[in-house]
Amino acid sequence: MLKYCLKRLGASLITLVIIISVVFILVRQMPIEGYFDNFDKLDEAVIEATLQKMGLRDPIFVQLKNFFVQLLHGDLGTSVRYRIGAPIAGIIAEKAPISAQIGLSSMAVALVLGIPLGAAMARSKSKFWDKFGTLFIVLITAVPSAVYYIFIQMYATEWFHIPMLFDRHNFVTWLLPIFSMALGNIAYYAMWLRRYMVDEMNKDYVRLARAKGVPEKKMMMRHVFRNAFVPMIQYIPSSILYTIGGSIYVESLYSIPGMGGLLVDVIGRQDNPMVQAIVIIYSCIGIVGLLLGDILMGVLDPRISFAKKEGAR
Amino acid sequence: MTLRDKKSEALFQFAQYDAAAAEKSGYSNYSYWRSTLSVFLHNRAAVALLIVLALLLLFTFVQPYLPGQYDANVINNHPETGRQLSNLPPSLTTVKVTVPEGTLLFGAPYDEDWYYVTNVMDSIDRRQNMTITEYGEEFCHIEFEDISGWVLTEYLRLPEDPQNVPYEAMSNYKVDVYMEPVDVTNDGNSLYVSADSVRPVEGEEGMVETVGEADLRILPSIHAFWFGTNNIGQDLWSRVWSGTRTSLFIGFAVALTEALVGIFMGVIWGYVRKLDRLMTEIYNVLDNIPTTIVLILIAYILHPSVPTLIFAMCLTGWLGMSRFVRNQIVIIRDRDYNLASRCLGTGTFRIIFRNLLPYLVSVIMLRMALAIPGAIGNEVFLTYIGLGIPVSIPSLGNLVNEGRQLITSPSLRYQLIFPAIVLSVVTISFYIIGNAFADAADPKNHV
Repeated sequence: MLKYCLKRLGASLITLVIIISVVFILVRQMPIEGYFDNFDKLDEAVIEATLQKMGLRDPIFVQLKNFFVQLLHGDLGTSVRYRIGAPIAGIIAEKAPISAQIGLSSMAVALVLGIPLGAAMARSKSKFWDKFGTLFIVLITAVPSAVYYIFIQMYATEWFHIPMLFDRHNFVTWLLPIFSMALGNIAYYAMWLRRYMVDEMNKDYVRLARAKGVPEKKMMMRHVFRNAFVPMIQYIPSSILYTIGGSIYVESLYSIPGMGGLLVDVIGRQDNPMVQAIVIIYSCIGIVGLLLGDILMGVLDPRISFAKKEGAR
Repeated sequence: MTLRDKKSEALFQFAQYDAAAAEKSGYSNYSYWRSTLSVFLHNRAAVALLIVLALLLLFTFVQPYLPGQYDANVINNHPETGRQLSNLPPSLTTVKVTVPEGTLLFGAPYDEDWYYVTNVMDSIDRRQNMTITEYGEEFCHIEFEDISGWVLTEYLRLPEDPQNVPYEAMSNYKVDVYMEPVDVTNDGNSLYVSADSVRPVEGEEGMVETVGEADLRILPSIHAFWFGTNNIGQDLWSRVWSGTRTSLFIGFAVALTEALVGIFMGVIWGYVRKLDRLMTEIYNVLDNIPTTIVLILIAYILHPSVPTLIFAMCLTGWLGMSRFVRNQIVIIRDRDYNLASRCLGTGTFRIIFRNLLPYLVSVIMLRMALAIPGAIGNEVFLTYIGLGIPVSIPSLGNLVNEGRQLITSPSLRYQLIFPAIVLSVVTISFYIIGNAFADAADPKNHV
């Protein structure tokens, strides 16, 4: 078990190093305008001097090494356009808590709504809940999320008289962003839980339990749901990835001062170091999520053999 | 002939010895593709959506050649004033107002077929006192200096009991004075009427009279802006279809490239045993990278255009396909028939193309059908965060994004709703058809 965890951790670290290097090298290919706030007004000598000072004229691998050393000291560089000269780590430290609060609440909402929906769908095969759930899942997965996010913002704010923009001190304005971000994951959980539960219900032990006279409800909870829930565990951390994508939309739609909105902002302003830093942070979150998913899965279901896990995930 | 045909005389005849019948073995006319098709055709919703999608696809190509279409990128101006016809509401005609026979209008010929007309006699600056001589919900009759005519009631600042004429009132805005209680202008611009339906009034220079009921139009054209126009006066109808074309092109291009690259890598990965370990490790690394991030990064670094967008999407998309192909190939590559085939000296390429890939066609098609809405959605996403195609090329992403900026004014929401509906219909259709096809292609569902 420990060996597996270490191996998995090692693989994740290697992935992370590769991603950071690739991101760093790719962002270095951008036009150098992205490192200045007033490029047009500067003459070439100043530009050259600044680039020298920032170390951008060094060989790329020296830059990369310096960057990793910086990273290990917790330094993500400085912003050049968004907030001139401010350390990025500081900007992000101020934005991240809001994103984290909204992201985690939306995942909680998704669990609370998605799991019962999936279970209800599996239990009422091709009756109301199943049909309703299928419709919901098809709509949410097929329609690009931008469309329903915008429509929710447009109509829900009108119907419930909620302000259109986010205000940290007004609780009501938290609801729509959290709910919007949860929608994708609700559909995702419901779809997979239904599939696993239906698979499980067709198994022999369930038939035996039913023949033996185990009450339907108890059988569902004790046998089917438990077994079906184990493979679900691995989706929960990886649904962080969905939350990242959603947060980019939702945060900028509602002007939430978080990481997702920040990314859209800095892309618009071509602030290279900021884009690089946020992309790296998001990749880290994604990788850690997947890692946790795999380890959690192993802890919860001892039947999974750690030795043979080629090709999976 | 079955036992049910009991009436049949033939059953009671002696059978003749038939050499061909004796050779006949147990044979079922089961055909994989025919069964797939028949299962698919039983799914009515999917078939209906397939028809809708096919028509839609056909229409996007036919639409520019239909009569009376505006160009998607042309900014439509008012012919006389040169002002943009911006934010016109959706309408099936260009008729702004219909007036009865014998209406007097100021008019002059625009060209051979059209007259431009208006009934504005004069205009009065804001904050002028005028005498209201008759009150109506829409129009009031006023007298001001030597002008006497009708103005829009909503522009006047009226007392509490406006019925009690005559009295003095002030206008809040600069107001146009009309000859009749009807507004024959389009926001102050003159309207157009076909030359047949008006005739000059004799003795009065610049006056025309309508012959019969006349339709007064915002443009010297009967071709309407069915979906309205956007804020710079481009025809939304043709933009939506042009955008659908772009988005579908992106979708198909991405699906095709993903399939080709994915199959190629998947076949190598699955078939060449020595590479399996290495490719699996590479896969594990690549798969851990969040796709959204790759998309953003690549689109950020390259200049936004249709090809770069397709490139960015393909860069992440092939991974799933290749893993899938690999898993299938590993399962079937060592089956007996392949072993036999190899022993008989079939070349590797032939084995791959004739023995292995036909088994995967259905699932590859499913993945492609699902890749199309995915790519369209990604295009919307990238456009939203400002990394999409330049606005000069309409795409569904661009249109939704342009419409999104107008959601605060309810009267302009049609600019979001039309593209959003087309976008949803396209993506939902592909999704449902793809899934229905996957169900149909699964031999477990074949009877």
